[in-house]
Amino acid sequence: MRVLLGAAFAVLAGAGLARAEVASGDTSGKRIALSNNFAGNSWRQSMLKSWEETASKAVKAGIVAEAPSFTTAENQATEQAAQIQNMILEGFDAIVVDAASPTALNGTIKEACDAGVVVVSFDGIVTEPCAWRIVIDFAGMGEAQVDYLAKRLPDGGKLLEIRGLAGVSVDDEIHKGIVEGVEKHEGFEIAGSVHGDWTQTVAQREVAGLLPTLPKIDAVVTQGGDGYGAAQAFKAAGRDMPLIIMGNRSDELAWWKAQRDQNGYETMSLSIAPAAAQVGFWTAQQILAGSDVPKDLLLPTLVVEQADLDKWIARTPEGGVTNATYTQEWTAEMIDAVKNGKPVPATPSE
Amino acid sequence: MVGLVGHNGAGKSTFVGILAGTVVADEGSIEAAGVVGHGHAPFPAASAGVRTVFQELSLCPNLTVAENARLVHADLRGWGWRRAAGRRIASALDAVFPGHGIDAGSVVGDLSLGRRQTVEIARAFSGGPGPLGLVILDEPTSALDGHASGQLLSWLDKAKARGIAVVLVSHRLNEILAAADRVVVMRDGRIVADERAEGVSRERLVALMGHVAGGTAGGAREALATDAPVLLEGREAAGGHGLTLRAGEVVGLGGLAGHGQTRFLLDVLDGTPWLRAKAACAFIAGDRANDGVFPLWSIVDNAAVGAYSRLGRGGFLGPKRLRDLAEEWRRRIGIRTPDVDDGILTLSGGNQQKVLFARALASDARILLMDDPMRGVDVGTKREVQALVRAEAAKGRAFLWYTTETEELAQCDRALVFRAGRIVAELPGDAITEEGVIEASFRDHAAA
Amino acid sequence: MSTTLARRLRALLPAIALALLLGAIFWLQPRAMSYFGLNLLLNLSIPIVFATLSQMLVLTIGDLDLGIGGFVSFVACVAVTLLADSPAFGVLVLAGAVLAYALVGALVQLRRLPAIVVTLGMSFVWFGLAVIVLPSPGGTTPAWLQAALRLKTPLVPLPIVVAAAVAAVAWFLMMRTSFGAVLRGAGGNPVAVARAGWSLLTIRATLYALAGCMGVLSGLTLAGLSTSADANIALRYTLLSIAGAILGGSEFTGGRVSPVGAVLGALVMTLAASFLAFLRLNPDWQIGVQGAILILILALRAGLGRLERA
Repeated sequence: MRVLLGAAFAVLAGAGLARAEVASGDTSGKRIALSNNFAGNSWRQSMLKSWEETASKAVKAGIVAEAPSFTTAENQATEQAAQIQNMILEGFDAIVVDAASPTALNGTIKEACDAGVVVVSFDGIVTEPCAWRIVIDFAGMGEAQVDYLAKRLPDGGKLLEIRGLAGVSVDDEIHKGIVEGVEKHEGFEIAGSVHGDWTQTVAQREVAGLLPTLPKIDAVVTQGGDGYGAAQAFKAAGRDMPLIIMGNRSDELAWWKAQRDQNGYETMSLSIAPAAAQVGFWTAQQILAGSDVPKDLLLPTLVVEQADLDKWIARTPEGGVTNATYTQEWTAEMIDAVKNGKPVPATPSE
Repeated sequence: MVGLVGHNGAGKSTFVGILAGTVVADEGSIEAAGVVGHGHAPFPAASAGVRTVFQELSLCPNLTVAENARLVHADLRGWGWRRAAGRRIASALDAVFPGHGIDAGSVVGDLSLGRRQTVEIARAFSGGPGPLGLVILDEPTSALDGHASGQLLSWLDKAKARGIAVVLVSHRLNEILAAADRVVVMRDGRIVADERAEGVSRERLVALMGHVAGGTAGGAREALATDAPVLLEGREAAGGHGLTLRAGEVVGLGGLAGHGQTRFLLDVLDGTPWLRAKAACAFIAGDRANDGVFPLWSIVDNAAVGAYSRLGRGGFLGPKRLRDLAEEWRRRIGIRTPDVDDGILTLSGGNQQKVLFARALASDARILLMDDPMRGVDVGTKREVQALVRAEAAKGRAFLWYTTETEELAQCDRALVFRAGRIVAELPGDAITEEGVIEASFRDHAAA
Repeated sequence: MSTTLARRLRALLPAIALALLLGAIFWLQPRAMSYFGLNLLLNLSIPIVFATLSQMLVLTIGDLDLGIGGFVSFVACVAVTLLADSPAFGVLVLAGAVLAYALVGALVQLRRLPAIVVTLGMSFVWFGLAVIVLPSPGGTTPAWLQAALRLKTPLVPLPIVVAAAVAAVAWFLMMRTSFGAVLRGAGGNPVAVARAGWSLLTIRATLYALAGCMGVLSGLTLAGLSTSADANIALRYTLLSIAGAILGGSEFTGGRVSPVGAVLGALVMTLAASFLAFLRLNPDWQIGVQGAILILILALRAGLGRLERA
């Protein structure tokens, strides 16, 4: 496989090996497609918009010839498989995939690789070894929450955990991270747990239902999209407002800001920036340009801290998710860091 | 050969079903050709050499004629079964209905009702592996025209000569009297008479069945006012007759079965460039099971569906009003049921037909199109319906009545005779006779 | 005369639709007009063909199977787990699944339940079983199955060979054998078939069992193509298979089915999506246009059907 890919690089980019951080092989004739399986929530909408921004700029600057995005009408793996097969037929040089299933597309992804197409998956990643993966450290996202709480509450405390959609791997991984964090830091204990389905209304209902059975809660760990609902449930029940970790949704940040201005409420917020699609785009471009990119890359979470709250709110569309912009340089830096085992650079705040 | 008669709901079809093994008897036993069947178990009809032609057609409309033959002949299998089945059914058709013109490869659904019936009858007489001892025919001629009925009756004579026993169930008493050796009369589920055919008269049979013989058919017709409003006007294309239907008229559609009468009624219903109805039309289906009843609905709903828009108030239906309507019609035309809220399928065939009549008459349509609705209906019901038609006509409604029975045709003010989809003759009331219709049906046959 | 012509046209409709679609795709994307291109364009149609035939078998007797998508997903999940780990047990489970299908048919017949409700219920059962067998997406399809689906047949790509072979076998079974005639007859007039001495229970159970076999083939080929599975993998097959079968000339009322048409219908459903993708149609519109194509073809068919009766 290595040999085959090496040969592909030689053909694609001549002898252009990674001399500098940014691979500079000519990709002006290359075509990159985005295969997306679902566009039904604010995160995906922002993701598609981020792709569009970067793609149109890159096409204008002559970096690539074309970079359209395609979304399947139904969130189904078989449909996305057909979509990717069509992309192979259309002769795209690289396909960036947000996959409906980590495994069900493997057969098709293999076909793409065999046809000489570069496949980069992000967010919804695929397990097929021939594809690149921009891995989001979901377990780290869970652990980071408890790490932050350990700083704020040195004596530990009772936690309420709001989980995501049952049976989805992301929910499992974040949960694992939180459990690890709780084990790492003494004094913390998960007093209760509900499934909030990453939706404010569901989270509010579920938390409200569980609250009467719970002791005093010191902090709430979340998965994003559920913090505001939890706050509403606590308020309605007349309970002391615990420290709720937020998930970068606009309503969550707005509530946090209001609380801060009113009573100096302090917390943190973290989630994945929809601009992950841009990292996918630049990774594909860098591979086409001849960069030697490891198969597993890491994307840091976008963390909003108390000090930067106002700055990030400005970067959060109404009803949307806090976004960032990942550039070609940042991506090259991240690739370099992963290759050399260095810590991944933080999410750019500009 | 035994003729079996009785009014609607007398139990004939149930009796046939028990013999055929499709209905389980509660008690008693049957013995045929050494095979004995007891109550509480279906009678093994096939192995006893019993074949049945049921009142409702028992062919699969989606299969070909040959494939339908396969259904009853278990021995048709393996390579070449299609050809063997085709040969078998074709030879049976040739024997019973010479000149039938039916291809064994054609799909049954494409055939007219009459032709389907000939296929089904032929299938019962087609040769097979087992013995053929008894053939039960339940209203076999109801969809056949006079010519085919005649062919069948003469074939039954031949079958008798070959030692095949036949049970013939029919409402056409003349057929029974002409063909059967014995006549069995059923009433309310019991046999009330079993007599030699020569000795009984038509009147006696009717009396045995429970009806008093009525007066002369038809009765005096009132002269129609020629200035009654015209409800329907039609120009028939190329050489055909035109049609003008006035309020109060009952016009019969006659001729050989399946020569375009039903099509014509549907054209009136749908409206075509050359046929314009000037008033609302209602259709009374002859093919009850397919075109007429809503099998899952109650009697009330079946009767009232045509009048929903009139009975509804602001889009809602008042159950009381619907019920009143159904009760009224139950009284007027004597639908025999303990409760109008029962399902329509609890009724016998003739009574289902009455519900369809009620539906059409309860609507505000002024033109009523009758597609041979009296098929398989007993004499008493026929009389009742005929009287009803007359009464409604007198109130200013007009009827187009397709019927395969000349006796009914003779009730009409005028009759239009159809051939090959066109009106070929118009007979005034007193010229409507069996001979007149046949003569008109074949008149331009010679010319063409 | 015009009846036979209309009927012939109607039977040809799926073939014409397929030819038009293929023509349009070749025109938009000449690259598709090659062994490699056709293979890529059509290989996902193999499981859809089997699923559509499964649906057609159930339609034969006038029922509708809303559980086929869940069933195919379940089979795919079994294929990448049990069948890979312990083949004998896997085969046993699949045989049991076919038996379960037959039992569903028997239940529908015996209790006179509406098949649409029973199969909808079964779809949840299959989905639940699939999650039990394969809780999170993954698994590996046995190598032999992957290899079978990667087979490079000479001259004509595998999907076309499979479609043609399957269509021929199903056509022979349903349309030419006396066994098939009885099965179809049961859809046309069950009372008549029962009166002729056949057991509707056996007939319905047989049809459902055959449908189950087709579902198993669909799930296995799907697993072979995707090399792994998840419990949601084939949920959309339910509607695809219904659309494909109806497009191919089957009727909801039972009795009237066309195996060759169903296979063509499945191919049309597969290609319609590709065609729209090649058109670069906005994805928000794609599903609507796909529906519109379906309605157009069905309307054409209804028109021909009217001619046929005239």
